[in-house]
Amino acid sequence: MNQFAFLVKFSYRNLWRNPKRTFIMLASLVIGTGFILWDLNFSESGSKEMMKRFLVQYQGNYQITNIDYYDVKNRKSVNNYKTLSDDKISDKSLFELTTKRVTAPVFISGASKTLGVLLSGLDIKRELELSKLNEMVKVGNFLSADGNKEIILGKKLAERINVKIGEEVGVIGQALDGSVANDLFKVVGLLDFGGGDLEESLAFTQLSTAQELMVMPPENYHQRVSFDMSEKPLPELDGVAVTSWETLLPEMSVSVRFIDKFTWLICIIIMVVVSLGLSNTLMITFLEREQEFQSLNIIGARASWITKSLLIEVFLLGTLAIIFGDMLGWFLTYLCHIYPINIAIFTNGKPIIMGGMVLMPTVRLYSVARYYWEVPLMIYLFIALTMIWPMIRVVRRSSHAI
Amino acid sequence: MQFEMMNVSKVYQASEENKVYGAKDINLKIESGDFSALVGPSGSGKTTLLNLIAGLILPTSGKLSHGGKDITFCSLEERTQHRLDYMGFIFQDYQLLPVLTAAENIEFPLQLKNLEQKEIKERVEWALKQVGLESMGHRFPRQLSGGQQQRVSIARAIATKPQLILADEPTANLDSKTAQDIIDLFKKLNQDFKLTFVFSTHDQRLIDQVRNVYYIKDAQIEKRINHA
Repeated sequence: MNQFAFLVKFSYRNLWRNPKRTFIMLASLVIGTGFILWDLNFSESGSKEMMKRFLVQYQGNYQITNIDYYDVKNRKSVNNYKTLSDDKISDKSLFELTTKRVTAPVFISGASKTLGVLLSGLDIKRELELSKLNEMVKVGNFLSADGNKEIILGKKLAERINVKIGEEVGVIGQALDGSVANDLFKVVGLLDFGGGDLEESLAFTQLSTAQELMVMPPENYHQRVSFDMSEKPLPELDGVAVTSWETLLPEMSVSVRFIDKFTWLICIIIMVVVSLGLSNTLMITFLEREQEFQSLNIIGARASWITKSLLIEVFLLGTLAIIFGDMLGWFLTYLCHIYPINIAIFTNGKPIIMGGMVLMPTVRLYSVARYYWEVPLMIYLFIALTMIWPMIRVVRRSSHAI
Repeated sequence: MQFEMMNVSKVYQASEENKVYGAKDINLKIESGDFSALVGPSGSGKTTLLNLIAGLILPTSGKLSHGGKDITFCSLEERTQHRLDYMGFIFQDYQLLPVLTAAENIEFPLQLKNLEQKEIKERVEWALKQVGLESMGHRFPRQLSGGQQQRVSIARAIATKPQLILADEPTANLDSKTAQDIIDLFKKLNQDFKLTFVFSTHDQRLIDQVRNVYYIKDAQIEKRINHA
């Protein structure tokens, strides 16, 4: 133990014999570690935020359906399947937010053209709590909660059928009872998704208006729910099937995983670059002390002792780097928690379109605990790899004549 | 314990035709308590002899023994351990570790020997006292003069209580007065503790005060003089 304590003291002092150089090595490792942690936290928080935004507009982390929903029969009667009762929906332990919707494919006619679109009826008050659809209305207003026969259209759709705010459009579709559903709606707002197909294929109106148009009883609707199931098991609900978003949206799931893996890859590349610089500096540091190592060997220090002293020296460097790197990574993450990053700064103010959905996320960073030991392990591994060659060179040459 | 070299030669061979002798048919006995010097011009083979004695290089032919034990072809690790167990070294440029204090430099080989902390402390204090630096143990080498650094180097060499101390040009970097002080210290240590010294030197003052002088020329011992 005494010998080990002496070895640690010797290695620690050697580490600081050229403080400027050690500081530069330490700084490169600390900045590397801090940035890697920030990057991983950003990736994790960003992915979560993007998926949350995406899923909120779409169908939640899980889609809960009637057990027969995907059977052929059910698909034919889109708005005529059983839904979860409001009693179950109100169970906050299961769902954070819910809203009702109905959807139907319809034709929409303006002054110059008729196009096929998907018309959705929204429970306005609850919708605004769950989705951020109102933020996408850039011209005019969002649907009023107590209004009737109002409609909002995608900006591109309005241009193509040549209608403006305040004008009327005709909507024609097939009602639930098989009759022809048709009515006039007043355009109150235009949705700007930043381009893409959605802008010419979506239209929204009030829930009651849509139900009335399609001759649907008030109890027929979809339940759109929002709940974070990431840390919880799948809910067990009688008579319903639960499907995760990964199953429903395999392409999206692959994209998110790809981003995660790619972030790790970037981190490893950063480490390789930092390690190459570190290896070169360690080589210089060790070779400068070559004569000293030779004297140690003459006095009686074995190669293994010299190896141990170098290992401890680099281990101390790594430990200091990890402590300060972890602190820097945490601090940067915390800073971006208080001041979330608006992704629009990376996209020239344009929204991000994923899977046909428009996202304008502001990413609030959260620290992911496991990164704070995974990254240090990676740093230790790279430092160990970094010092192998300089150490072999020095130890090989430590046995020398007077 | 006697150290002996029997018909030892060391050949540095750059090519088949180009052989250079670092040592040639050397026969040398170093008895316990000897106070000897290897003397000769640069390139004569003094340092090669020291290296052979220390086991830092292996002979091309001949035999080395220590206390009757053949140590000619020990492994690298065994030779390192042998130096630690039985030898002390003093260098021309002191070779102190700059990150350790004087006391810690002396402690260094004792730590390598894995001695008890109490014994280490006692030996460090004893060694510092012998070289007259009792009050300077806490100083780093950069805070000491050349003569003081060489004293620390001597203290480091004697702290392990070695059977043989090899010193390579120990006074070469010192001014005249300091060099004489160091020589006096060597003599005192030799007389008081029967420590065995072998010097490689050009310093006439040291040559005049050793008991045995081995004149080396062209890698051979040309002449031996016993001042006793």
